[in-house]
Amino acid sequence: MAKVKVATDWLAGCAGCHMSLLDIDERIVKLLELVEITSSPVTDLKHPPKEGVTVGILEGAICNTHNIEVAKQMRERCQILIAVGDCATFGGIPAMRNLCGTDEALKRAYLDTETVVGGLIPDSDELGKPLEMVTGVGEVVKVDLFIPGCPPRADAFWYALTELLAGRVPVILPRELFTYD
Amino acid sequence: MTMVNITMNGQKVSAPAGSTILQAAKQAGIDIPTLCDHPALIPVGACRICVVEVKGQRTLITACTFPITEGLEIQTESEQVVKARKLILDLLFSERNHYCPYCEMSGDCELQNLGYRYGLDHFIYPTYTKGFPVDATRKYFLMDHNRCVLCGRCERACGDLVANHTLGLRNRGASSMIHADANVPFGQSTCVSCGTCLQVCPTGALCDKRSAYMGHDIQMEHIKSTCNQCSIGCGMEIVTRGGNVLRIVGDWDAAVNGGLLCKNGRFDPLYDERKRVTGPLLRRGGKLQQASWEDALKAVAERIGSANAKEIGVLTSSNATNEALYLLNQLFCKELKADNVGLLNDAAPKLFEKPQGALADIIKSDVILVAGCDPVKDQPVASFLIKHSIDKGARLIVVDGKDNGLAPFAYMNLEMANISKAIDIAERAQKPVVLYGAGVTEKAAGALKKLQGKAAFVSLEPGVNTRAAVSFGFNNGFKPSAVKVLYTLLGEQNIEGSDVLKKAGENAFVVVQASFVSPLTEQADVVLPMAIWSERAGSLTNTEGSVQKVNKAVEPSGEAKPDWEVISLLADKLGKKLGASLGEISARATQELK
Repeated sequence: MAKVKVATDWLAGCAGCHMSLLDIDERIVKLLELVEITSSPVTDLKHPPKEGVTVGILEGAICNTHNIEVAKQMRERCQILIAVGDCATFGGIPAMRNLCGTDEALKRAYLDTETVVGGLIPDSDELGKPLEMVTGVGEVVKVDLFIPGCPPRADAFWYALTELLAGRVPVILPRELFTYD
Repeated sequence: MTMVNITMNGQKVSAPAGSTILQAAKQAGIDIPTLCDHPALIPVGACRICVVEVKGQRTLITACTFPITEGLEIQTESEQVVKARKLILDLLFSERNHYCPYCEMSGDCELQNLGYRYGLDHFIYPTYTKGFPVDATRKYFLMDHNRCVLCGRCERACGDLVANHTLGLRNRGASSMIHADANVPFGQSTCVSCGTCLQVCPTGALCDKRSAYMGHDIQMEHIKSTCNQCSIGCGMEIVTRGGNVLRIVGDWDAAVNGGLLCKNGRFDPLYDERKRVTGPLLRRGGKLQQASWEDALKAVAERIGSANAKEIGVLTSSNATNEALYLLNQLFCKELKADNVGLLNDAAPKLFEKPQGALADIIKSDVILVAGCDPVKDQPVASFLIKHSIDKGARLIVVDGKDNGLAPFAYMNLEMANISKAIDIAERAQKPVVLYGAGVTEKAAGALKKLQGKAAFVSLEPGVNTRAAVSFGFNNGFKPSAVKVLYTLLGEQNIEGSDVLKKAGENAFVVVQASFVSPLTEQADVVLPMAIWSERAGSLTNTEGSVQKVNKAVEPSGEAKPDWEVISLLADKLGKKLGASLGEISARATQELK
């Protein structure tokens, strides 16, 4: 049987969810017998292949226009999209910015920080434009499965992936794996 | 009791008439989720998470407010109900900041638990867009409006339970805000920092400053005990983790206080910064030096053993367990025949031999006569009960000074000399209650006796275990001048010791059994370290005469020992056998107190 193709990527996140995926420990060997990780932030290939993958996994919140592009591309190229972690599901730590507003947050970070001399807010065309509101991935693309948690338990990843490999799409995780904290 | 029969999820349930659907469900073991409802509060049906389907009703109805009637058919978890609850949760999560990982309450939050229960795994509606203020102007706990779900539990606790009416809700809909008085910072409001609102808050909106981020409830131990800060003896739970006391919460099951605590009981004991006495101290060559228990007790026993009964003086704090006071009486008064014994605080005059009322009578009364005591200052939980009774229509007459804390709430303020006027009013009332303290003069006490049989009488004793101390004969007959050996059970009491010692004469040998370093311990010849409230077991007698258990929550600091054990060890050294175990001593002390 051909391996199931999986692509992962991160948006406004901390990489913690990817670390938690690796925390499935030796089970990853078994997983790699069944799936092919085509692209991820830690592989050479950074974007999901044009021919598409079966499962796309996104970590991190939607924070700027670049995040939207990445999320949309992943959505177009995968059949089942999983949002992992509290940032991708709810907005998470980056969404704390909503409490003060984007302008205020940029000002505090780049101009008013105590160690800054002659600060400048980055404003290059190369960079995504910060959004007014930080949101979860579900605000910009359709998400098939949400796995909250900061980070989600390794067992939650394992449960979701093994369920998918068995041909079932979990709707909500079992209670013991379903946490926000 | 009339029983009403209903059907819940197809199961036949019967519950007393007048029960709500929620109460009936609880009895039958059917779990209906709640958020704004709290067993101690009057239900208002604000959050609507408890909605259920009732056959024949046009819409879903709130289980917490709907009374059951014969034949009601209820579905508590039908598809329609679950759909409605999910919608309510989505709406609750869409306002303000209900993002869990950086919230103090994460893991113990009732809102979060509902999210888990109904599988809320992402926000349906656009989330919060604005920050709300955080009010940290109170010393002990803060209010983070961002975490508030406007359930109104705090407001109802403040008004309906504590009768303090500091908290209110202003504006409507999404702009509603919990506020204090006329929207002033909490720290400048009429808030008495009793912390009842903190205890009932279902989310992280109200947060204890001292124990914040110190772990989840599952990692903590709750040890039921009795508060020793005043003579009311409120039931409390000492919350500990890893041998440290994190916080104190009210025990909802306690008969005396029904879950209420005051600032003095809930917070102050945890902010005590006095230095502990951690080991026995013995004066050698004019200097107080560390010693072993053996040496310290031997020194005390030698001096006491060689003194005659007239030369021995005993002073005790009322902040001691029944067991300690019993042993102190047994050892010094019964065995050593000392009669020069005293108490470090006043006591209310003894009006009757038998109890003539209980604190529970306050809430049922129509006229409350407060004479010679200031419960607002000394027994705050009693003042909550009084104010609650005023809310229900009772009239308060304060017979005390103008600066009595209850004076602003009184229908009439009188001088002690005019107490007869108050007695006249009480005589015409249906259910009068007299609360009297140490400030009642002999004449006034005589006048009050006129109300015997008519009124319920409850003394509000100053100090803590004053009632037991007086029962064991430690009243204020202490004459310092004759004392050659003074044994002082100071315990946790804060007292300026100099005048006690001056009176005791220059050459008196002073033994102090104390928990904290104070001027008195520094002048003592022997200091015996004593465990504090959280470190000892035993019992306390409250002001109405109920004997209540105190339990040990953590290990004593250093070499400190429980109050009763110190006296028991001393008795052993003096060759007097006064009971071996705490259980045995407790039983005998309780027997004597009856």
